[in-house]
Amino acid sequence: MTAVQQGVRADARESISQTLLLAQWQFRRQAQFLPLMVVVQAFMAVATVVGYGLLVGDPDPVTALYLATGAPTITLITIGLVLTPQLLSQSRTEGSLDWLRTLPVPRTAFLVSDLLVWTLLALPGMVLGVLVGVWRFDVDLSPAPWLVPATLLVSLTAASVGYAMASLLPPALAQLLTQALVFVVLLFSPVSYPAERMPAWLQDVHAWLPIEPMAQLVRTGLASEAFTLPTRSLVVLLVWCVASVVGAVLALRRRA
Amino acid sequence: MSTQVLLSVRGLRKRYGGRTGVQANDGIDLDVAPGQVVGLLGHNGAGKTTLVHQVVGLVRPDAGTITLDGVDAVAHPEVARRRASIQAQANVPITGLTPRRAIELVGRIRGGDRATVRRRTEDLLDALDLGAWADTRAEKVSGGVARLTSFAMTAVQPGALVVLDEPTNDVDPVRRRLLWQQIRGLADAGHAVLLVTHNVREAERVVDHLAVLDHGVVLAADTPAGLTASLRGALTLEVDLPHDGPITWHPAVRPVAAGRLRATGTVPAADAPAVVAWAQAEVDAGRLERYALTPASLEDVYVRLVGDERVTEEVPA
Repeated sequence: MTAVQQGVRADARESISQTLLLAQWQFRRQAQFLPLMVVVQAFMAVATVVGYGLLVGDPDPVTALYLATGAPTITLITIGLVLTPQLLSQSRTEGSLDWLRTLPVPRTAFLVSDLLVWTLLALPGMVLGVLVGVWRFDVDLSPAPWLVPATLLVSLTAASVGYAMASLLPPALAQLLTQALVFVVLLFSPVSYPAERMPAWLQDVHAWLPIEPMAQLVRTGLASEAFTLPTRSLVVLLVWCVASVVGAVLALRRRA
Repeated sequence: MSTQVLLSVRGLRKRYGGRTGVQANDGIDLDVAPGQVVGLLGHNGAGKTTLVHQVVGLVRPDAGTITLDGVDAVAHPEVARRRASIQAQANVPITGLTPRRAIELVGRIRGGDRATVRRRTEDLLDALDLGAWADTRAEKVSGGVARLTSFAMTAVQPGALVVLDEPTNDVDPVRRRLLWQQIRGLADAGHAVLLVTHNVREAERVVDHLAVLDHGVVLAADTPAGLTASLRGALTLEVDLPHDGPITWHPAVRPVAAGRLRATGTVPAADAPAVVAWAQAEVDAGRLERYALTPASLEDVYVRLVGDERVTEEVPA
């Protein structure tokens, strides 16, 4: 191995260890509220399944499958789009972000460490949502082997969009916008119901937004025998993922 | 003292908010050498924090250069961050953590190995007499302890340059002394220390070199002795007034500053006996509450440099 390669490896090792230490910092700082957040997330996932069930009445098997597989997507998106920007705005307001940015840490490490914390946080709610869905609607799931990386992709994209939003917008505006987004995701996105139920113009809008591809990816990952993932959706999602990660990192690197 | 320079700032300019905005830095020159504590004195809003933020790449200068350890810090902020550790002016929120945990985590994020960081944390907690709070959750510690913790987070794995922004705020007098020893210790260990403060009196005893910053410009830079040289052979007269209002000084007194119920001026040493006699008579007549005569200090130089609007208002030429 050349000296340069060794240097690169040492750098990579250091970046990973810094990312994990930063995650530990963020995790411990939230430790007091973590149990409550997990409970709220789990409640939300369960409510999406059970509450929608009440709205729909006695669902047919396809509707039931949509409801059961939509809940985990909703959990992932709300954590990424709502919780991440809210906490980033908070750390901007309280001044800890500016100080953390003086540390000799790659800017991407901030994004990755936050993502790690929020994904771990979303996990219990997600699993519980799926289990409740299976129990309530008596559906059969057929998880695909790529379900875990798929959820990570969804989580990464949602958190990066949230991150970029919270970095670029004034804190108060970012908070308001994320609140509004919850409603869009819950009610006006083809996550827990098929896209055909929406008006045509909204379907067109969603063809370019990342929400529908996220839902399709998780849905297909959970019930791979009942659904297939259109290639176009995967491409749209990947483009959003790359664009939002680049945007978030640029925002972190930005100098006043 | 070493002649080599670790941090070199030349012609640094930064304006916020476009043409109608604030000129935070207006052509700053500053040098800090290893083993040196350099004090950067200035009012709130003099441009101190803007300067610090430019060194570690949080703010981009409009013009000028920053060289840190031979590296262009404006072009390579990530290298600058590796070589500098910063204590911010505001306390870093560490709710959820204990002082010990926060110090250790920062030490390891800065690249220290576990055993060394643990030992150094223990030493710092001891040296600053924080043992009793080391394992208390941060939301239950006082402002002074939080301030010292934030210093220890900076000093646990210090960079070649250590920047301390108002490190003594909220710290009690006893621990303040311990803190000054640690700051001096960092310089003695070969680090370059830039001490940002408006506490002129305390800084005087610790710093090797001083720069006075006002409205984004360095007004004077020298050793404390060099800065006070012009006042050698002069004394400071400080008086408390029984009422608010202008004071009529003895003719030998040169007014320096006047605030509510308090005023100071300088007195040539030769005139001291006459001025003391005058002041005592003023006290007896009830026109002064109290007076004190002390050696001329850096604070007098600072006030003379930076100016005090009230002096010019209240004292006819």
